[in-house]
Amino acid sequence: MPHPLRRAERGAGAFGESVLLIGPGAALLIGAFLFPVGQILVLSIVPPEEGLSIWANFARFFEDDYYLRVAWRTFRLSVIITLVTAMIGFPLAYVVARSPRIVGYTLLLLTVLPLMTSVVVRTFGWIIALGRGGPVADLLSLTGLGARDATLLHTETGIVIAMVQVLLPFMTLTTLGVISTIHPHLEEASRTMGAGFYRTLRHVVLPLSVPGLVSGSLLVFALSISSFVTPNLVGGVRLPVMAGAIYQQATSTLDWNFAAAQSTLLLAAVLGLLIPYLALTRRRHG
Amino acid sequence: MSFLELSNITKRFGTFEALRGISLSIERGSFVSLLGPSGCGKTTLLRIIAGLETPNGGNVVIDGSDVTRLPPEARKLAMMFQSYALLPHMTVLDNVRFPLRMQGSSSTADQRRRAHEALALVKLDHLADSRPRQLSGGQQQRVALARAIVYQPRVLLLDEPLSNLDARLREDMQIELQDLHRRLGLTTIFVTHDQEEALSLSDRVVLMRDGSVERDAPADVIYDDPGTPFAADFLGAANVVEVSGDPSAVRLADGQVLNISAPDDTSLLVMRQEDLRLGGDGLSFQGVVEARVFMGTRVRYVVRVGDAKIRLLVARDAIVAPGEQVTVTIEPDRVRWAHPRRDR
Amino acid sequence: MVRRFPASALIGGGFILLLILVFMLLPLAIVAAASVTAGSFLTFPPQGFSLRWYGEVLASTAYLDAARTSLILATAVTASSVVIGTAAAIALHRRLLPGTSVLSALFLSPLVLPTIIFGIGLLIVASIYFGGPSLVALWVGHTVITVPYIVRTVAAVLSDADPQIEEAARTMGARPLQRLWFVVLPQARAGIIAGGFFAFNVSFDEAVVALFLRSPGVETLPMRIYGQLEFSPTPAVAAVSTLMILLTILLIVAIERFLGLRRVAG
Repeated sequence: MPHPLRRAERGAGAFGESVLLIGPGAALLIGAFLFPVGQILVLSIVPPEEGLSIWANFARFFEDDYYLRVAWRTFRLSVIITLVTAMIGFPLAYVVARSPRIVGYTLLLLTVLPLMTSVVVRTFGWIIALGRGGPVADLLSLTGLGARDATLLHTETGIVIAMVQVLLPFMTLTTLGVISTIHPHLEEASRTMGAGFYRTLRHVVLPLSVPGLVSGSLLVFALSISSFVTPNLVGGVRLPVMAGAIYQQATSTLDWNFAAAQSTLLLAAVLGLLIPYLALTRRRHG
Repeated sequence: MSFLELSNITKRFGTFEALRGISLSIERGSFVSLLGPSGCGKTTLLRIIAGLETPNGGNVVIDGSDVTRLPPEARKLAMMFQSYALLPHMTVLDNVRFPLRMQGSSSTADQRRRAHEALALVKLDHLADSRPRQLSGGQQQRVALARAIVYQPRVLLLDEPLSNLDARLREDMQIELQDLHRRLGLTTIFVTHDQEEALSLSDRVVLMRDGSVERDAPADVIYDDPGTPFAADFLGAANVVEVSGDPSAVRLADGQVLNISAPDDTSLLVMRQEDLRLGGDGLSFQGVVEARVFMGTRVRYVVRVGDAKIRLLVARDAIVAPGEQVTVTIEPDRVRWAHPRRDR
Repeated sequence: MVRRFPASALIGGGFILLLILVFMLLPLAIVAAASVTAGSFLTFPPQGFSLRWYGEVLASTAYLDAARTSLILATAVTASSVVIGTAAAIALHRRLLPGTSVLSALFLSPLVLPTIIFGIGLLIVASIYFGGPSLVALWVGHTVITVPYIVRTVAAVLSDADPQIEEAARTMGARPLQRLWFVVLPQARAGIIAGGFFAFNVSFDEAVVALFLRSPGVETLPMRIYGQLEFSPTPAVAAVSTLMILLTILLIVAIERFLGLRRVAG
């Protein structure tokens, strides 16, 4: 139903009131959000020296083996992180959706708590856990999967473990949003028609959860390729990812044009993922 | 032993007692309604038969074997839900084929053939390739029905399947359900809160109240002789009047004596609205018209007798204005008696 | 609702769930445990029990300064984004403006755009046009990031409110500003408060934009912790981190009390 004011007051004083209400926010977002992001695009095509092509910064990226390796690592790790979060996030979301209220609520709370703590703090926890003598490294050497005194710090495995924990809440919440719209009658009907619990999960719940899993994956992947705090601190200087490289150039070597070019590439990749994500979530809500 | 035997089923949700020891025997091929107001436990009982809820006590026996501990998928029953529960990601045909596929008894071609047959039975074969959301409510309903009968379930359970349809469609579906039941002879249990639906569809009505069976009788019997004040009230159409005095001289609330005798001194007088007339011969008493409601072919009067209000449904020819004194009559053989249940 | 789940699903599911929860809470639990060590180095499990590192933190001017900066920043950010976000949410809720759906997308976009891209853009703009990053730039940046949270919580509450109350107020002669003050803002109250706590928490914990806008004399707690982690962290870092976790828990309880997490998360 449209808001009643829409019918009653279109063009009258309420319109001006709406403009006044939205004005400060719109000004803030245009001036301090769209403009800075646009500034990146502008800087990315300013060549480092006079007379070079506007693509010079991009060319430097694609011609340098080092940056291509960084980009490939970022991409590869993000794919793994996304797959792992989807595999863990789906059962977790299902259990949250179908548990008795109080259990589901507690689970949700425990999922949201890490999401709301500072990423710096969580990464710190992983530095201790993955480091030499930490519980995860100990567990690996106990089970014979890793050497004694092993460390997962400065390894890709370590980055994946820490990033999955950081990003899992996004996957769980997105998938939960879809699963909680699946009417329990569908599962019950499937059970009475002779499908057991697991086959119901496979033939009814999973196919209906696909939109949630897809939009959750797009979101997690987009966040994964652009995060730098966790990969930087866990992976260290030997395993740079794209966002970490951008941070270095922007704050240490002050090579803004090159940093802007890389940011533009990252932005293009992220928008390519987020636009389908937004379309998917909008369709669900509308 | 009957085909479906429920013995002493109890179910609690927390401190709420949903079912307080229900025992029922249902014959093969019969059409039974579980009728009652919301919260009476009728849907819980149906879900226990389906295996979707586990009873706290009692047994469910189908065709001689105890299925109380079996999961729903092992019971070979069909349940039709109020929401229809069609799988939105499958076509109509795949929905109907789903139970056959899950039970994996025959080839895909055979499954498709049987699904088409079931759809033809509900006259929807032409929509086999549509998606459920492209269908109207009535069509979805019939797909759900086709899906429920396609695998010859031992019992067909229906949970208020008609409550989301408008009045016309509902009538059509009632006829279709009865017709299917006659043709296929499926043992059918139908949950509803609509007394008319229960009376018109089923051979037998089990009226439930607060987790117990209030009355269990064939549809015509329960209508003519509700037996308890609650049943009379819930089935509508009947006046339940408190009377006093010794059984041989029945007195209404205002002291008028009726020329009949009651079975015992706790009995309540039951008079159906359409059995009462204004004036004429028979058992009679006096009252004052309090209201008159025009109902189309008939007129409803509310007549006050002492503190009691008596409702009548009479033909349009008798016109009496509110405030007038009238004589209400009934044939003595139409009078029924009810007995308040002592356990509440 | 009790349904018949097979034992394998109940046991297996419960076990997996337990593992996931341990996994999710592990880093927080380890930080808290490491903070109470009596030893001089970061170890897990801790050696003995002592609160000496908390004492150390409370005696350190660097940490106290960072905490003060974080508090001032988060408070200022909460104030600005509550005002801006609530106003915008009311306007968006009324759907009077042309292109309301585009505007809604604009107001929610900082939620989904990675902060690193926003951070570098803000650094570039601050450096080119405003003579370098500053606390004010950080304030503006955090306000941009937190406005969407307020818009979301306020919009969620308003969409549940009865729009006819405002119509009723009109028939009783309330003028636009009176309706805003006496009808709409009270209706939005729970969303405003919950969104405010959210904004405070996000700003207090935020590290990425803060690291890009690093400037002399401006250091928030997450910036300081990040800096320590790049070198060799002491148990004092664990103590500060634990205090931050406790603050987050407090804020979650507050949000939960005013709005319910399910509404914000979903």
